[in-house]
This record gives sequence, structure tokens and C-alpha cells, in this order.
Amino acid sequence: MGHHHHTKPRVISRREMLGLSAGGFGSLAFMGLFGTLPFGCKRAGHLETASNLYLGPHYLPKAKNVIFLYMDGGVSQVDSFDPKPRLAKENGEDPRKKFKVDATQFDNVGKILKSPWDFKQYGECGMPVSDLFPHIATCVDDIALIRSMVSNFPEHTNANYFLHTGSGLQGRPSMGAWMNYGLGSENNNIPGYVVLDGGLIPPGGLDNFKNGFLPASYQASVFKAGPEPVANINPREDIKNLQEEKLQFIKQMDDSLIGKIGKADAVESAISNYELAYKMQSSIPELTEFKEETEATKKLYGLDSDDPHLRGYASQCILARRLIERGVRFVELTCPNVGADRWDQHSNLKVGHERNAHAVDQPIAGLLKDLKSRGLLEETLVVWTGEFGRTPFAQGSDGRDHNPSAFSMWMAGAGVKGGTIFGKTDEYGYRVIENEVTVHDLHATIMHLLGLDHKQLTFRFGGRDMRLTDVHGNLVKDILA
Amino acid sequence: MGSVLLLIGGILDNPPDILLFLGRFHPVVVHLPIGFLIMAFLIQLASRWRKFNPLGVYIPLAWLMGAVSAVVAVVFGYLLSLSGEYDKETLFWHQWAGIALTLLSFACYFVHKQWNNSPSIIKWIIGLMGCFLLMLTGHLGGNLTHGSNYLLQYAPNSFRNMAGLPSKMEPRKKVAVLDSADVFLDLVMPMMQSKCVGCHNEGKRKGELLLNTYENMMLGGKSDNTIVPGDALKSELVRRITLPMEHEDFMPSEGKLPLTDQEVVLIKWWIKSGAPSKGFVTQLDTENTIGPIVSNYLGLDKNNLFNKRVSPPNQGVVDTLISHGFVINPLMKDNYFLEANFSLSEADLKASDLDALLELREQLVWLNLGNSNLEDSYLEKIGSLQNLVKLDLSGNAITDTGIKHLSKLENLESLNLYGTNVSKGVLELVPKLSRLKKIYLWQTQVTKTDITQLKKENPGLIIIAQRE
Repeated sequence: MGHHHHTKPRVISRREMLGLSAGGFGSLAFMGLFGTLPFGCKRAGHLETASNLYLGPHYLPKAKNVIFLYMDGGVSQVDSFDPKPRLAKENGEDPRKKFKVDATQFDNVGKILKSPWDFKQYGECGMPVSDLFPHIATCVDDIALIRSMVSNFPEHTNANYFLHTGSGLQGRPSMGAWMNYGLGSENNNIPGYVVLDGGLIPPGGLDNFKNGFLPASYQASVFKAGPEPVANINPREDIKNLQEEKLQFIKQMDDSLIGKIGKADAVESAISNYELAYKMQSSIPELTEFKEETEATKKLYGLDSDDPHLRGYASQCILARRLIERGVRFVELTCPNVGADRWDQHSNLKVGHERNAHAVDQPIAGLLKDLKSRGLLEETLVVWTGEFGRTPFAQGSDGRDHNPSAFSMWMAGAGVKGGTIFGKTDEYGYRVIENEVTVHDLHATIMHLLGLDHKQLTFRFGGRDMRLTDVHGNLVKDILA
Repeated sequence: MGSVLLLIGGILDNPPDILLFLGRFHPVVVHLPIGFLIMAFLIQLASRWRKFNPLGVYIPLAWLMGAVSAVVAVVFGYLLSLSGEYDKETLFWHQWAGIALTLLSFACYFVHKQWNNSPSIIKWIIGLMGCFLLMLTGHLGGNLTHGSNYLLQYAPNSFRNMAGLPSKMEPRKKVAVLDSADVFLDLVMPMMQSKCVGCHNEGKRKGELLLNTYENMMLGGKSDNTIVPGDALKSELVRRITLPMEHEDFMPSEGKLPLTDQEVVLIKWWIKSGAPSKGFVTQLDTENTIGPIVSNYLGLDKNNLFNKRVSPPNQGVVDTLISHGFVINPLMKDNYFLEANFSLSEADLKASDLDALLELREQLVWLNLGNSNLEDSYLEKIGSLQNLVKLDLSGNAITDTGIKHLSKLENLESLNLYGTNVSKGVLELVPKLSRLKKIYLWQTQVTKTDITQLKKENPGLIIIAQRE
């Protein structure tokens, strides 16, 4: 077979041709390696081509970018956005006498536990928010709250994969990878899918952010907090030319390999990664030094706080805005390590939730306000959610166990009807009783806001046209503006 | 058998509910004999071929099954007719054609089974007669349920004319401006057509009420207060459509799609205005209360720019702009609307780029020229990009002199002037942009007093002038 390749040009199959067109930007990227040609340079060319090669929104988008504020561990809905006065009335009573209790992860079912926080109504819409989030509460008129989320999994790793990739099993492409696959990136100096690692990588690890069966260039780049957000961002070579010559040499080698074996995703992605890495050496330092940010802006996000975790998350939020401004399609923020675990308070709910909330509340509110005043909230969708909720009864005496049967999440920004509350849970906040929203529904809605039809955006793998929503997903129309 | 039932039925002037209930199963039951009889005829036809010859033995059975199930259908059909909600003449013919078909089916059975030696010409004549009766009965039944013009409603005019029907009415032209909207023809009649006429038509006459024309609506039905011009609350029609959905008098009944809140408001207003047969909404609406609702109902407040098809962009122009640092994105899969974004470029915008943008004026709906060292003089050309819906000019040293040129952007919905040097000029500009919904004015020279005035003069506008 090897000999065959040398003597006769290899015929590219239809499938490979599609694959090439969808993800094979390697050679294109080379054209731009030392020039100024933008990454999306062939985008307009797609206007004239067959529909299955089309790159771009299916219909007029509302949002161009997504900032995904991932609340790792599962925020308790009855302590944040879904007040349940009945818990206070029946505090300390046996939940099994009140309703059917499902098996929980640790099966250490305690008494009904009232929320340690008070709720107040905010904004023109009067949305109730607990005292955990006094800053986010000032933004409720821009927020569409869903109280009727459900997950298929009661355990972190599967639930994380499910929320990120639409499948509870490891190995599927992440949301951000799908968005970049569907829409392309606008900036050729920064990856289109960036994860800002605030300190906690969620259970399930980096597979939450992978490209799965999509071309490898769509996977997330993880930026770390600290002085060197991306490893080896400063060139090791003293002489600039030396690095360029090295890269040229690698390019020649790779080119001749591609000439021999034809299209190979691994090689193409390696080429585009080299290309991107080179460009990032100049774009990233500019990005992560907040030189142009005013003191007022820094203060708004909370960079002047005494809480180092809040400061950390604040700089992640500023960075998220700066990435969006530079055309990055999908930015995910993971949670800071506040020293009391992620939002996963199986015990000591009050301390743990309070520390986590304190670190993220002001930066998130700052982000929403900053985006809004600059006009960026009009084209950015901000998504706030955990992977599931927590039980209305205690685990042990002062914790809450996992609850996939109900949790709250919110979205703000482009195309979202601010000040709306959608869905309803029972009087304990334990189960959804009205307008259930699945993770697939959420994915379909996020894609819709970006102008993508979740049924149309497919990738052929394993003999099937795969989708982020698999064979599920209904738009949550009531929260659309 | 049918005639026996008819005799009993004559006594039943007030049929008990249970019989009416059973009658409602007629549409379900009736399709069984239809299937059997068609099958019988097809088997009879097919068995003429040698290959299907063995099927011949089933012919009598198929006719018998058809006949027996037809008896059941006739009984249920008779029960349904007791409600008296159907057009009498059509009902008469439907009923007797059905009974005749039943008897004929038995005849077919006997001809095939008992008198197997009868000449095949007889078998074919009664078989074909059965088919004809089947179609006739079915058609009349369809007319009873859906109205006599149901079948040919969308037929080509040549068919309609052959059947003695007039050519189809040209659909009323879609209202383009509020001033041309007619209260009855554009509001009330379309609502009736889509939600009410299905049951209140010449064939069905539910509640003896017809809602298919203005005259019939005014005639009323069982109750003579269907529409009381000038008094919406006394009108039975309004009462019926505003009852709780669970109420048995609620209309439309039987779980059909109810009228929307907006439609109810509009009907009430029409009746309150004297229920005229025609008249312009804007002339009747002297207090100017209903205009915005009508606009919304007719979709006039939406930008219909995106309903247009635009031609493909000039590829050369697109390539030039891209090579100068623009990102050009398609915005839809099946149309050529484009977004152009220069804010990511490190280069300065050149005057010649604007000429290139002008060549995309048809396609360009989103334009981002943020932080591009834009000058006031450039805005003249931007002002003639008439399809712009979103325009971002933030972070440029532009002033009131420049934004004057934007006054003709009639499709503009969002204008971002954050971080520019504009001031009082926005007060003049904004009223000229009729579709403008959002304006960003943070970090500009526009003062707080100006903002207050802007808010007062443009009540619907979302103004973002500060970072809260």
C-alpha cells in the first residue's frame, strides 16, 4: 500500500473532502504563518459553495460569543434562586414523611433543612435572590432564570460530561468545540475556545473541554491563572529568526508528510497548533496584562478585594471580556479553589457556599455590567450553571447531597428575555413540576441564540451524523427575547 | 335496517346524551367499511390476472365484511345525525347513499357467494356501482364535516370552474403600513377564517351560526345577541371567547386553538367601535390606543428587511476587505446578508475601504468599526449603508458632525457610540432613526440632562449611558 501512494496520486473520498473542508485549515493557516491573512480568510468563499460545506450561522444569530460561568459541584437551588418558605416551616422534620425520597449518592438522608440565607426581591421584575448573591441580584433585569433544570446523572463526572458534551460518557466534543466547528473563529491569533482555569478543573478532567470526534483544533486551550497563563508563552530562543527558521523547517517536514499520506487530522491539527502557538506568543501577553483597564473597571470586578479568591475570579472575568472583545467564540471559567471544596457542600453548607459565592458574586456582576455598558452584552451570551442541584433535606446535619431532579441556572445577554423566570419546582424545590428543561434543551437553546440549528449542525462519526443534542433537544422559547 | 332506525329516530326529538356520544364515533367506525369495500373491489380486479387468481376465493368474504361493518357505520351515523347540527339536504343524500351502499354490498356478497354462476358482467356492474356509491357517500360526508367548499378550496381554478365554483379569491394583500389596515378585512375576517369558520360554515352551522361573511355574522345564530355593535360585553361572541377554557360554552370548542389575548382585545375593540363592515384602523382609532397592538398583530413593528432576498456579494470586494483586515461573516445559510468586523484589526481604517463597504451595501446588516481610528468624514459613506441593523462605532474620536450623516439609516436597531466624542447631536439624530431600539452612550460628551431629555422624547428607547 505504501508503494502505491508514491506512484499514484491518492484519490480523496467524499467523506475526507468534507472533513477537509470542515476542519482542514492546516494549509490555510500556513499561508498566514508569517503574513497578515486572517484565520477566517476563506469564510466568504463558503458563501458560494455547497450547503454541507457552509461555515456560519444557519439563521440570523442573536449572540456571537458565549461566556460560560461554570459553577462546579452543583449550587443549591433552594439557597440561591429558588426560595422555598416551606423548608423553614418544616425545618428539622423527616422528609420521608413528606414526600418520596430518591436514593442519594451518600444515602445519609437527614432532616428537612431550611436555607440559612434570606431571599429578597430585586429589580423591576422582582426576581427573588438569596443573600448569597447580593451583586448578581442587581443584574436580575438582564437575567433569564430557569428553575426547572434536570440532569440525567446524580454524580459529578458523568453530569459534567453531560453538561459539557451532551453525553454522560467521556469522549464527546464539548459545547465550545461544537460552536467553533459551526461558526469558525474570528481571531487567528487566539484559539476560538478558551477555558480559564480558576484553580479547579471539574471532575472528569480535561475531557470536559475536548474536541471528541471533531478535528483536534477545536479543543479548548486552557489558560492558567498567574504570570504565565499559557505554558511556554515566552520564546526560549534568544534570536527571533532562530525560532522562525525552526518553524519553517518543521513546516517542510510536515508538508512532505501530508504529501505522502494525504489528509490526516493529527498532522493538520499539529500544524495549526504550531501556527497558533507562534502567534499567541505576541497576542497573549498583550491580552493578559490589563494595561488599558481603568481603576474603576478593576474595582467594579473586585480586583481591590481582600479575598484573594475573589481577586482571582475577578481577573478571570476581565480576561473573559477581553477574549470576547478579541473575537474568541467560547470562553469557559472554572471555579476558584476557595479552600472549602467546590460548590459541593455535602457538609458545612453555610461556610462552603458562602466562600464560593463571595469569590464569584461581585466579579460576575461586574462582568455583566461592564459588558452591558460597552454594548458587548448585546452579542454575548452569559451562561451560569452547575451540573445539578442539591437536596432540600440535609445530608448528615448541615450539608446537602446531589439532586439531579431540579436545579436553577440563568442566562443573560444576547437574545435572552431579561427578568423572566421559567419553570417551577415543588414546594420543597426537590423536583420539577412545570416546564422541565433538560440539558439537551439548554444546548439547543444556546445554539439557537448563536444562530445554529442544533438539528443541522452535524458531524459524521461512527456511521452516524452526530449532534451536540444527539436525538433530543427542544428550544426553551419562553426565555427568548 | 336503516329505515327501521329512522322510524324509531322520528320519535327521538330529544335524543339522550348517550346516543349522541355514540354518534361521535361515526367518523372512526366509518373508515372500516371503506377499507373493506375498496379491498373487495381490488381483489375482484386483481384476481382476473392468473398470478392473483387464488385470491378469488376471498372476494365474497371481503364484500361481506364490508357490508357488515357498513351496517355498524350506518347505525352510528344515524345517531350522530340526531344532534341536528348538519345541513339537512346534504345529510339526506349522505344517509341514503350510505344505506344504498350497505345494501349493495350485501348484494355483491350474494352474487359472489350464493349465485356464483351468475354472469361476470353482473358482478362488475354492481361492483362498479358500489365504488361509485362509496365515493359519493364519502364525499358527502366530507362536505358535512368540513363544509361544501373544503375539497376544492385550493383546487386549480380550472377545476373549480368546471365544478361551477368561482375562481379563487385573490388573497388580500399583506398589510404593509398601518394606515392601510382595514378593521374587518385585515383583522376580524382573518381571525374568523383561521379560528371559527371551520365549524360555523354553510355545511356545519354549529349553533346555527355562520361566521363566514360579515352579513352572516351580524345575522347571529341561536342567540340573537351574537354581536351587539357598540357593546362588546353584551355580545355573546365575546362572552364565549373570554370564558375560562374549561367552561363548556368556551369557544372554539373541543380543544381547538383558542384566540390569543391580542385577538380578543382586537375583536372587543372592533365591536366597541360599532362592528363596522369596513374602515381603516387608524381612522377608527381616534384615541390612538389600538394602533400599537394592531402593528404588533400584523407584524408591522418587525423589521421586514430580512424577508428580502439579496444577491450574492461581489467576491472580489469581499476578498479585498478581508485582505485589509476585515472579518466578513455570512449571517444566514439561505441568504447573503453579511457582517463586517474591523474591530479585531490592528491596522487603521482607510478611506478606500469604505468604498469597498459601499459595494456591499445590499448585503451588509451588521457593521463593527470599533476602535478603528474612524474620522467624522468617513461617516458620510457609512450613512448610506441603508440595510445596516447594527452599527458599532465605539472607541473612535467621532463627534456630532459625523453622526449627522447617519440619519438615513432607517433599518438601524442598535447604535453603539460608547467611548466617542458625541454630545447633544444624538438628540437630533435619534428621532430620525425610526427603528432604533438601543443606543450606547457611556463615556461620551452626552450630559445627564441630555440623557433625561433623550429618555423623555423617546420613551421606548433603551439608553445605556452609564455603568451602574
